[in-house]
Order: sequence, then C-alpha cells, then structure tokens
Amino acid sequence: MNQPGAIPLLSVKDLTLRFGGLYALNKINFEMHANESLGMIGPNGSGKSSFVNVLTGHFKPFSGEMQFAGQSMLGKSAHQLVGLGLCRTYQAVRVFGNLSVQRNIDTARLFFAEEGITEHQYAQYLDWLKLTPVLGKTAKDITLFEQRKLELMMRLVLKPKLIMLDEPVGGLATSEVSEMIQLLHELKAYSSVFVIEHTMRVIKELADRVVVLIAGEKIADGPPSQILSNQRVIKEYLGSAHA
Amino acid sequence: MKIKPLHALLTLALLVLPFLFKDNRFLGFILGITYLNIFWATGMNILYGFVGLMPLMFAAISGIAAYALLYFIAEWHINFWFALPVATLFASFIGVLLGLPSLRLKGFYFTLCSLIIQSTLTLAFIFFPKFTNGDTGINQISPPLWFGEPIKGYAFECMLALMAVVGIGVSYFVYQSNLGQRFVAIREDDVLAESLGINVVINRVVAFFIVSLYAALGGCFYATYIGFISPRSFDVLSSLNIWLFVAFGGKATIAGPVIGSILLAPLPFLLQSLEAYKDILSGVLIVLITLLMPGGIYGTYLAWRNANK
Repeated sequence: MNQPGAIPLLSVKDLTLRFGGLYALNKINFEMHANESLGMIGPNGSGKSSFVNVLTGHFKPFSGEMQFAGQSMLGKSAHQLVGLGLCRTYQAVRVFGNLSVQRNIDTARLFFAEEGITEHQYAQYLDWLKLTPVLGKTAKDITLFEQRKLELMMRLVLKPKLIMLDEPVGGLATSEVSEMIQLLHELKAYSSVFVIEHTMRVIKELADRVVVLIAGEKIADGPPSQILSNQRVIKEYLGSAHA
Repeated sequence: MKIKPLHALLTLALLVLPFLFKDNRFLGFILGITYLNIFWATGMNILYGFVGLMPLMFAAISGIAAYALLYFIAEWHINFWFALPVATLFASFIGVLLGLPSLRLKGFYFTLCSLIIQSTLTLAFIFFPKFTNGDTGINQISPPLWFGEPIKGYAFECMLALMAVVGIGVSYFVYQSNLGQRFVAIREDDVLAESLGINVVINRVVAFFIVSLYAALGGCFYATYIGFISPRSFDVLSSLNIWLFVAFGGKATIAGPVIGSILLAPLPFLLQSLEAYKDILSGVLIVLITLLMPGGIYGTYLAWRNANK
C-alpha cells in the first residue's frame, strides 16, 4: 500500500509514560502512514487516552521518540503540534458551551491569519456537517450529535493532516452512530484518522488497521479481521461473545 | 468596528462632566476618583471578565507603580512625564512576573495565590520605608506640570476623564480583536483552546501585561491626584473594591465596569457620615451580588433583553 521508505505520518519508538512507579505506556512502537485509518482498542485504563494525550502534547513522555511527518514531536506543546497538522478531540464532548456555534468555529479559525481554508471549503464543510441551521445557537443548547459534529468542524478548519478521535460515538443514539460512521468515512477524504473506540462496529467499519493496548503495552497490531480473532484480545478485552 | 450614537454620546458626557463640576471642588474630586476607578475597573475586567482570572494583587501593582514614580522623580530629578512611562513599564513587568502562577493555577487557586501576593506586597510597602516611607506614607506629592503650570482641580479631572475614555476604548478594541477572542476561549476552556492551536501561556502573559499597564498608569495618576499615598491605599481592600465595581456592573462587558464604578465609587464619599458602616455595606453588596446577580447589573440587563427579544 505504501512504498517502502516513505516517511510515515506518525512514528513512535519505545514510547514510555510513567506516573510515579506506574507505567501508563510501556515501550510502545508504532507507525502510521498518511491515508491510513487506524483504530485503537483496549480495556478501560489500558492507556489509550494517555497515548493520545502524549502524542498531542498534553503529557510529556518519560522516554522514547515520536515523529510527525518526519519532524520530532518531543518538547512541542499542544498548540505547536496543531501547526504541524495534528489535531484531536476529547472523550467527553468538549466545545465552548457558553459561546455560539459560529463563535466556536471562528475561535478555531483564529489559528490561521491568512493561509487558512478557503471560504468555499468552509461552506462545503458546514454543509457537509449540516451545521448551518444551528450556527446562531449557543453550543451547549445543541444536541450531543451536533456538538460532536461541531468538534469535527473546529478541527477541519485547522487544516489537519491527522485527527485523533477519542471515542467519537460515545453517548450517541444507535441511529446517530450509523450517521457518524458515515461522516467519519467521508472525513478520510480530508484527513487521516486515528480513532479510539469501544464500539466494535466503528472499528470494524472504519479502521484499516487496529492496535490493541492492554495495561500500557501494545499486544497486537493488524487488520481488524485478524485482531478480532486474536485469542489474547478475545480473552482479555472482547469476551467470548464476540468470537 | 462600529460605534453607536449612544456610545458616542456617553463618551462625550464623560469628557464634559469635569467642566460642570469646575467650581464644586467636593463633587469634582469625587468625579476624579470615579474616573480613576472606571479606568482601573475596565483594566481589571480584561483579566477577570475576558481571561477569567481574578487578580487580587491588582492594587499592589498600582502601588508599585506609584512608589516607583515618586522614587524616580525624587532620585533622578526627572519630570513626571518622563518618570510616568518608566514607572508604568517597571510595574507592568513586575505584574507579568506576578502573573506567572496563572500559567499553572486557575480559578479559585489563582485567586488565593494572588491574595497572598497582594498581602505580601502590602507588607513590603510597610517594611521598606526607604522607598515608601512605611506606614506614614508619602504626602504633599506635587502634581504634574504642564508647560511649567501644575495640573490641578478640574484640569486634572479632564485628564483623568480622557484617560478613562482611552481605557474604555482600548478595552473595547481588545474585546473585538482576535486577541480578545483568544482570551475568551482561554476563559471558557483553556485545554480546548490549546488544542485548537491557541498559545495559552503567551496569551495569559499578554493579558497580564495589559492589565498591569492599567493598574500602574492608574496608580501613578492616583498618587499625584490625591497627593498622598500609604500602604493602605494599595491594600487588598482596594483590589476587592475594584473587583466589586467590575462584578457589580457586569463582568466581561465593556459597559459593566463603567456602570459599577459610577454607581459605587462615589458612595464612600457621599456616605462619609456612616463611617465604619461603609465597609459593612460593601461586604453586604459583595454577598448580594454573588448570590442574586452573578452577571452584575449590565449582565442581568443583557440576559433580560435576550430573553424578551
């Protein structure tokens, strides 16, 4: 799929995160190429969110190396990583609740003085996410699904190369989950996607490759079909009902 | 940026008022003090209203500027107008340094930290009499000269009026600008703001610098207007008073701090006969505001207007 020797979009070597004596992440090695969609699964507390937090500059790693499109990410803070094209969303929906939807988007657009997305592209994103009718509303008054879409919108205006989504369908109704999966499929046209999920449907339908974390260690990495039949993954995470 | 006729009219009123009280020195003085407080409250609102940090060391920064101003004038034998920018910048840099805890603390914890800084500096004003003349204070401060003539009376009030108007203008400009939008984003959710590419650290430092400029400039004019300063002029009660003007009028709005100052700043003078009861009154006001009108007068009015649209 990718030519050998091509610079990976994201590459992580021996990444370790420690909280005192506890290893939240233990020597994670991992690569991801542009236009690849990656899924990450694992039980609660296995280090998935910590992994995203380290990569996006919210936590400092204890040791290891990480690179984004060939540039080292060590020592870069969250806002600097946005400049490289790395964006994230949060497990619990996170928007500026007291501000209007429009103001939320405008705030994200402040990042670029001039070289931001074009007005045409902006209108296209708004239309695609069906956010136009709620632009004037206060962000806390719109539905959770709309807030999730607003989160995507606020990332897209940052011209991301990679969006890391932490449980993008958390709390959504079943019908909305299908719609969100469809949106995330279409999102791949604009950016590479890295998604943490507990809903296996999302992983099965979206990810080209799945990484499994358990207790801070990567125990499997491969295509969904292979991962979902891996004995250890079934035993420690999925449970026998999935087999 | 659009300026409404009403705003222009009110601005004009602020500038014209000193002429009306030209001959009534008592009311004129109250007016001057009110202008100073409008300026201060507008400054504090940039940090408290827009960025969401409550800087209780505000008065201390004013104090540093005032003492520095008098020290520079006395030691270097320089004109007020040369000492003013030096003292203002000096105090503003100290203000930025005092703001550094905000890079790690926010909300209640920052407020507590700023309270400690304020108390420490009040003590420092008392215990470094070389610069401050200690508890006795410095009196008979000569007013600034304008082409050899001392600025006194209503001329000083005109100057303070101009300063207040410029202060409101700058605050309005900041609020409308991208900088102001970033401030509000940081107030609402600093982690989210950071992940949208906003440099929270730099923006907080910039905010502290702007607010310290307000505090310091106000402090320098306060000292020369009143003619007397002591550590008490810049203690925690002064900070709390300015905070009260912001909260009472309506934080995070442009008009709020102005309304709060106009309504509350003259009270201690008009109610002079009540003596200690003034402080009780201001305490009661703080409690009432926090409980009944979290948005302040203007904020409550805006909410009411939106609800009845």
